[in-house]
Amino acid sequence: MNKTYIEINQKIGEGNVNVLTAEEMINKVEREGIKVAASEVDIVTTGTFGPMCSSGAFLNFGHSDPPIKFEQLWLNDVNAYHGNAAVDCYIGATRMAEMKPFEYGGGDVIEDLVSGKSIRLKGTSYTTDCYPLEEIDTHFTINDLNQAILCNPRNAYQKYVCAVNSSDKTLYTYMGKLLPHFGNAHYAGSGCLNPICNDPDYETIGIGTRIFLGGGIGYVMGEGTQHNPLNGFGTLFVKGDLKQMNSKYLKGVNFEKYGSSLQVGLGVPIPILNDRIAKNTAIKDKDILTDIIDYGIPRRDRPSLGTISYKELKSGSIEFNGKNVKCSSLSSLYHARNIALELKKWINNGEFFLNPPAELLPRQTEYKAMRQSTAIRFVKDLKKKAIICYNDCDLKIVAKKIIEENINHVVITNKANQLEGIVTSFDVTKAIAHDKRELKEIVTRKVITTKDNEPINVASRKMKIHEISALPVINEQNVVTGIITSEELM
Amino acid sequence: MMPFGVIRNIEDYSKVINEILRYEISFNILKFSMASKGINILLDVPDDKIKAITQALKNNNVIVNKKGRIIIDDERCTDCGACISLCPTDALHLDETSRLNFSYEICIGCLLCLDSCPRNAIEEM
Repeated sequence: MNKTYIEINQKIGEGNVNVLTAEEMINKVEREGIKVAASEVDIVTTGTFGPMCSSGAFLNFGHSDPPIKFEQLWLNDVNAYHGNAAVDCYIGATRMAEMKPFEYGGGDVIEDLVSGKSIRLKGTSYTTDCYPLEEIDTHFTINDLNQAILCNPRNAYQKYVCAVNSSDKTLYTYMGKLLPHFGNAHYAGSGCLNPICNDPDYETIGIGTRIFLGGGIGYVMGEGTQHNPLNGFGTLFVKGDLKQMNSKYLKGVNFEKYGSSLQVGLGVPIPILNDRIAKNTAIKDKDILTDIIDYGIPRRDRPSLGTISYKELKSGSIEFNGKNVKCSSLSSLYHARNIALELKKWINNGEFFLNPPAELLPRQTEYKAMRQSTAIRFVKDLKKKAIICYNDCDLKIVAKKIIEENINHVVITNKANQLEGIVTSFDVTKAIAHDKRELKEIVTRKVITTKDNEPINVASRKMKIHEISALPVINEQNVVTGIITSEELM
Repeated sequence: MMPFGVIRNIEDYSKVINEILRYEISFNILKFSMASKGINILLDVPDDKIKAITQALKNNNVIVNKKGRIIIDDERCTDCGACISLCPTDALHLDETSRLNFSYEICIGCLLCLDSCPRNAIEEM
């Protein structure tokens, strides 16, 4: 049985519309079958609540007297983008406060705005004949603004990967804190409640679709950036009036050593126009599969270690490589469920009507990687021969090599050239100062290393983080094949 | 030593504080916050009074905990769960309604969760 938007909206107006959440729809279809569900249910509501970095808001302050044309501006010390007319700006969720980076950011500014808090605005200008004011330092609340429009270029990922870490260090990522040696796993999204998962063929979601956004009404403006429908990673470009939103559904977040973002609450109503759509909205967590991705590999194409369903992800632990790994979400299932229920309530109360899309979202978009005009350089391209001493070597010989070869680092290995340590010219100087005679007394045994196929930038970041100036290059057998020092990176 | 208590309402709170005041000692209230299960108070109590005060609190049906080393700020927590996978004992877990729950009694105080919260809702006691 087919329905139209007009018929469903009529039912909303009459107060006899039948709305279920995506979780409730699963039970309905299971109990009564697709045919019955399709004819009885008019709308299925969805919801998701999680960090969505591609979020931000356009604000218009109105003109000052004398007028100013911003060149730079800061909201609570967070730099906002200004490249539009005089007093327009875009505050991005991931921009961090200049004095308190990693503690406060654009996401927090948006949360504070929506909560009605006072925000400090500082701006500077190069001045023009029409905009003579050079500087401004003032306070405002959301009510003082002409417009405050949440405008998020990429929200509501259809699904996301499950992140793990194979390396020997704790990683701090946008997927949260990942413990070494596959110590834990993180995922995002609400699975069977995720908006696009309930309309994977984009039969209803399109430009103009009215949605729940941040506790207020929003609209789909089109496909989100990096929209990748062919691989099941569709995204939405959304907007909404920030003034109507609720800070309960817009929360600033700051990930340790990663930075700021915004948790966004978003829900899309799916009209049950036909049996096919009814079937799609009954999707279960066990049928939504995603990849387990190793964030320990600092490359764009991180290796996939297998696939996993949202059912397993939501269970709290996943099994892979024969190991049971604790797993948790970065998205709140509690809030996702509440959003679907809230949207259902709005529709049942006749406060929310469906808006048919002007155009459906594309299903064939190609997802491309960045075109880089210079070839990526690897450690193997820049490494030089390592000067090696065996572990039983006399300290004096180590010192001699440093002078003869005019180097600062001597790599210490066993007889099979397997890495055992490193000695710097400074270590040797210290040895003399402290009257130490043995190599073993001064050798650094915990050595930070690199490999042939590591990009140069990754190797140089290692040196920067650990405040060292050289990395021995080793192969899979721990055999030293060279060294890379800060001199090669200059 | 810092006993940790969960109190149901403000009257209980007054009662408990009066109970402690009976011992005629001075103490600091380090933290007072409303939580989903009632009121959390974090007290700094002199070591030699811990036993007496713990008993006084327990007499008032207050949960006293000396093991858990973290406190969750329910107003900041958004129940995302970013801390859960880091907890080696399931002290941090989702309850049946998918809200974050912290079981003080099984927290071993490893503090692995401390820097995992993007809302900065986990504090060390």
